[in-house]
Amino acid sequence: MFTPSDDLSPGESAASAIVIDGLYKAYGSVSALSGATLAVDAGEIFGLVGPNGAGKTTLIKAICGVLKPDRGAVRVLGLDSGRDRHAVRRRLGYMPQEPALYEDLSPRENLAFFGSGYGAAGLEQRIRDSLEFVGLWERRDDPLHTFSGGMRQRASLACSLLRDPELLILDEPTAGVDPTLKAAFWEHFQGLKQRGVTIFLTTNMMDEAVRCDRVTVIQGGRILVTETPDAIRARGRTRVRLELAGGVIREAEIGRYEEELPRLLTDYGLSGEVRRISIHRPSLEDVILSMIENRNPDG
Amino acid sequence: MISNLNAIAVRINRQFLRDRRFMALSVAVPLVLMLLLKYVLNSLPQLARLGVHVSDYSILAAAFLVHFLAYVLSTIVLVRDRKDGTLARMFVYGFRRREIVLGYVGGYSTIAAVQTAVVLLLMKYLFDVNLLADIVPVALTMLALAVVSVGLGVFISNFARNEGQVFPFIPLMIVPSALLSGVAIPIRNLPAALQWVSYVVPLRYAVSVLAGVVQQRQSFFSRLTPFLTLLGVGAALLAGASLTLRERE
Repeated sequence: MFTPSDDLSPGESAASAIVIDGLYKAYGSVSALSGATLAVDAGEIFGLVGPNGAGKTTLIKAICGVLKPDRGAVRVLGLDSGRDRHAVRRRLGYMPQEPALYEDLSPRENLAFFGSGYGAAGLEQRIRDSLEFVGLWERRDDPLHTFSGGMRQRASLACSLLRDPELLILDEPTAGVDPTLKAAFWEHFQGLKQRGVTIFLTTNMMDEAVRCDRVTVIQGGRILVTETPDAIRARGRTRVRLELAGGVIREAEIGRYEEELPRLLTDYGLSGEVRRISIHRPSLEDVILSMIENRNPDG
Repeated sequence: MISNLNAIAVRINRQFLRDRRFMALSVAVPLVLMLLLKYVLNSLPQLARLGVHVSDYSILAAAFLVHFLAYVLSTIVLVRDRKDGTLARMFVYGFRRREIVLGYVGGYSTIAAVQTAVVLLLMKYLFDVNLLADIVPVALTMLALAVVSVGLGVFISNFARNEGQVFPFIPLMIVPSALLSGVAIPIRNLPAALQWVSYVVPLRYAVSVLAGVVQQRQSFFSRLTPFLTLLGVGAALLAGASLTLRERE
């Protein structure tokens, strides 16, 4: 599905679906992106995590070529997202933060409308495939204002799948979606990944971040870290609490506890005095929140 | 280009057909306002002594109504498109600026045409003015006015973040249109400075065509200058409006 391009920029591998290099964007005096740099591999589920106002939507708009960055480059599927934006848009699916569909129209009419933008060839079949994929085919002719919030999100996801995209850009796809439907959405995402689709999504929910193959943490328009969720979690400090004989308590913070814990314990000769060791491993959410608070991931 | 433009116009009309309340209002509002006009003017018998014919004002009031409704509606709908993210989605899904702007014109022209038809029928039954003979110039002028209204609407929509913020812009357009276009007061009776200002009020040109053709029984060709000016203003507004859309197509 993914076709590598001949003119790759330095540092860009043929397997990169998105390469963002030193991106700056300011709205008046407020800067939304300050030198954001990251690369998304083809075929992965990539999460952009950060608080509201961190620059997530601005980054997405730059990827779709709707927004012109002040400085820096965005390459999507081997193409320049600004200059070649129409070629890029034909190959990507975009799901905005709001449902972004017309309330008075049915899912089928909405998809037929948006799908016609780049030509209507084979559209009927693709509308059917997309609506069946999200389980809305039965409700295809009901106006959207009769739908629940979750159904609207599903209709919006179906709309983003219309062109059988190689790259799916999802801006907070599960915001306001109940846990059952969220699980269904993630099944959809995994199903799309199996088909070779690259998924780039934003979220501010950590239970979603852990499901991504890799995660970038963005704060104040700057990228703090890009790693697998496990690697990010491993950056957290482990708090160790020793309960010694006679009720004495000793607390310490260590990095990689597998290596550092024995070292810590040699102070005590690993004697029988150590009754119990309890370890609190930070959750991904703890680590990311402390990064955002401190802006200092290595402590 | 044409198929995308058409898709937008069809979509807008389909939305309006679904919206029963809007459908009822778009017919009822001209009806009520025309009735109001008739009874207010009829209750002022001194007007007749001044040589003012109630029926003379009906076509101008109709033009004013179509202009006003198309302007307000297109502004609100575009603001909503931007707020709901459907405008951004249109861009990402391959629609171009000019297709969007012209598609809106297409959609609103249909609505304006329906309203014009309602108004013309009302004029026949309320004011006993039969415009069948002038149907072509009247329809063309109303259409040009709808283009101007949508152009203004798209332009104004850039200054409002939500539907509520559209309201301050309504009197900004309505008051000059009512006072300086010749609908209520002949332009030659205005102070010289305001006569100059009236040149930037688009409704002025529509009034000039309609008053000439309907009231003074002039031929449409003798009123071609104001008609073409109106069209030119519409085209310029549309071109300007499509450039003011902040999104990158």
